[in-house]
Amino acid sequence: MRPLLDVQRVSKMFGGLQALQDVSFDVSAGEVVGMMGANGAGKTTMFNLISGNFKPSGGQILFDGQSVVGMSADRICRMGIARTFQIVRPFNELTLLDSVFIAAQFGARTRKGRSQAQVLAAEILDIVGLAERKDELAATLTLADQKRLEVARAISTGARLVMLDEVMAGLTPREVTEMLSIIRDLKARFDLTIIIIEHVISALMNVSDRIVILHHGETVAIGSPDVVARDPRVLACYLGTKS
Amino acid sequence: MIDILLSEQLLAAAIITGTLYALVALGLNLVYGTMRLLNIAHGELVMLGAYVASSGYNYFGISPLVGVIGAGVLTGLMGAAVYIFLFRNLLVKPELSRRLEANSLLIFFGAIVILQNIVALAFTGTPRGYRYLDGVIHFGGVALTENRLAGFLIAAAICLATAIFLRASIVGVAIKALIQDRRAAGLVGINVDRIQLLSLTLGFSIGGVAGALVSMTQEITPFMGFPYTMAAFVVIILGGLGNLVGGIAAGLVLGFIQIYGVALTSPQWNSILLYGAFVAVLVLRPQGIMRGGRGVR
Amino acid sequence: MTRALPFVVFLAAGFTVPWIGSTYALGVGLQLGMWIALTQSWIILSGMAGYISLGHAVFFGLGAYFVVMTWEVIPIWLSLPLAGLITFLFAVIISVPVLRVRGPYFVILTFGIAELVKYVVILIESSFGQYSRLLFGTPEIGDLYWVMLALAIAATALSYWIRFTRFGHGLLAIREDEEAAQSIGIPIVRYKTLAYGLSGIIPAMVGGVMALRTNYFEPEQAFDPIVSFTIITMAIVGGSDDARGPLLGAAFFTFLSEMLWASAPQGYLIILGVILIAFILLMPNGICGRIFPPAGSRI
Repeated sequence: MRPLLDVQRVSKMFGGLQALQDVSFDVSAGEVVGMMGANGAGKTTMFNLISGNFKPSGGQILFDGQSVVGMSADRICRMGIARTFQIVRPFNELTLLDSVFIAAQFGARTRKGRSQAQVLAAEILDIVGLAERKDELAATLTLADQKRLEVARAISTGARLVMLDEVMAGLTPREVTEMLSIIRDLKARFDLTIIIIEHVISALMNVSDRIVILHHGETVAIGSPDVVARDPRVLACYLGTKS
Repeated sequence: MIDILLSEQLLAAAIITGTLYALVALGLNLVYGTMRLLNIAHGELVMLGAYVASSGYNYFGISPLVGVIGAGVLTGLMGAAVYIFLFRNLLVKPELSRRLEANSLLIFFGAIVILQNIVALAFTGTPRGYRYLDGVIHFGGVALTENRLAGFLIAAAICLATAIFLRASIVGVAIKALIQDRRAAGLVGINVDRIQLLSLTLGFSIGGVAGALVSMTQEITPFMGFPYTMAAFVVIILGGLGNLVGGIAAGLVLGFIQIYGVALTSPQWNSILLYGAFVAVLVLRPQGIMRGGRGVR
Repeated sequence: MTRALPFVVFLAAGFTVPWIGSTYALGVGLQLGMWIALTQSWIILSGMAGYISLGHAVFFGLGAYFVVMTWEVIPIWLSLPLAGLITFLFAVIISVPVLRVRGPYFVILTFGIAELVKYVVILIESSFGQYSRLLFGTPEIGDLYWVMLALAIAATALSYWIRFTRFGHGLLAIREDEEAAQSIGIPIVRYKTLAYGLSGIIPAMVGGVMALRTNYFEPEQAFDPIVSFTIITMAIVGGSDDARGPLLGAAFFTFLSEMLWASAPQGYLIILGVILIAFILLMPNGICGRIFPPAGSRI
């Protein structure tokens, strides 16, 4: 069974800086793959390469068997990959419903009529818990809610693969739990495959089927949470020793 | 044709024009570098300086070389006033400052129209000139009128003085620091507010001075500002935004492009070369100078 | 009902003017129609997509030039739409490098382009030995009025409608955050190009009509930065986020200029500049933003 996303020996140089070197991993349909690593390890860069914001310096990225290297970011989204941004980028002057509704009109969905898109948008807003605020402007939200909106917007595009970039950063423990629950609900409802970058390790271990650990642009370990948590290399460079 | 291209006369013209452009751009660069303001009304400061010097001479018999000071003072005061009344006060209110930042270009455009028409109302739109220091000097194969030479020398002196000032004086270094990183400059104890005030005053003042110098050698109208604004932008982008010394070099480059370009084609190409350079520089400039993303509202 | 009131009033006024039976009224109506058409087109690009154009006169001038050059070669009913089409193509072609420039640089670039095209046209004209052109036998002002009215209605309809289309939604998202818009699948290059081109079609035709009205073409006039400036002021004062804005802005300034232009053109422009700055600082959403404050979804 071919993986949904196949990242093959991908490298990325920025001038003289090697952000990613020879990184390979794959993601099967329906999986949740967590990505971890210290700041600067290359996680967001990896996302940017997959989503088409940057072009890899080397290697191949296959989505459902098709290479997406060199495609524009919007074309890649239409193919079925969506992402959130590490620093949220809301449509400030648009309402929550409009933000999600517009996403439903574009992206990977087969062209939906206006009312269908509105219904879908309303449903997604409901799952993320923002239904009551749907007519408020995005700029008025708290950070936690803006992160939920960002997730809702990404899902609304009808993507099969959703990449979440530190959606829990800055959230209180209770908000983290809520976000985890939202992610699970959305995954189940829309049959999603997810790659998730997080520093909140407990949450990541909790929700992921497998974990990829990056360090200085290279893969250090790939495996199930238990395996990775005991891997000596991982303990050495990222997790620290712990009983 | 080749003789013309190789003539010292043309070379002298290119250097002189280039130095003038460098001076005009220097003023804009100071303002942009320290406050990140694209002052598209910069050319109007040149225009105002020109009218100050010209009026000083025509109505009061004051030598333009003295009028230069008057021009610099007037426009410098305008810069200070803009900073004190607009930026210092308005920036206190975050809502207004957000609008200002996003729409500063439109505000400057409005200022351009206001300034042009105030001057047109006061002096009419007819071009005016005057004759001062128009004896001719000869250096080798080059014939120059005294006023052009004087203008060149003053412009060159100011550019040189500024370059030295930035390197050698503590205030100059502070300006450079502010240009590089505003927040860091504040953190190391630089009085950002005062340096910005100084930069805006100096930047505007230099624009007026350049205008006074220009008034000696060409006819002036209320609408003469645009080409100088364009030239200034070409120069500061070519030389590196905020790079004051680079701007001086780039000014010379533009002077060469224009003088030799016109020599190779015809005077009618003058504006096309200038605006063409402007468009080219904006389109071709290396990405990454300015974070893309949000359109201006 | 109050929300539709401006549209109704202007439409009614538009059809009433010819019956007043005064050439002067037709002239004013023509002016008003012109500014409405220009400003509505401007806000498609600059209001909705957020790419502020400081040089919209370039489209006006190109359209005028085309109509003038093809005068007596092509009938007007053909040359006007062709002027729009050719200007559209021009916009699409130059948009390739131009739309890659972002933020304030795009804004000043549009100004530079307008001036550059102006000087190129001056060069071309002088190579024909011309400095300005006179037209003879142009249509009556009454007929031209109807054409301008049609253009104003078309521009308003387009500006109103676009907000409710998928394309319009894409533009709004682009305005808010271009990269985020791209990340949800909006084809930003295609949409920006289309907006840019669309924003030029009607101004080109308007330019053509005005050339016919004045019987005169001079590059400095046709590509005058003041045209660009006036469009922006009308949009900001009326409200650039609303199809009713240009109606109000154009009306306000057309009547103001009727009062002042003949006696004090510089004074009029100074007032224009002051009002523009005042509105940007104090009422950036314009009159429409005050009268019809946006509430909730507007798409």
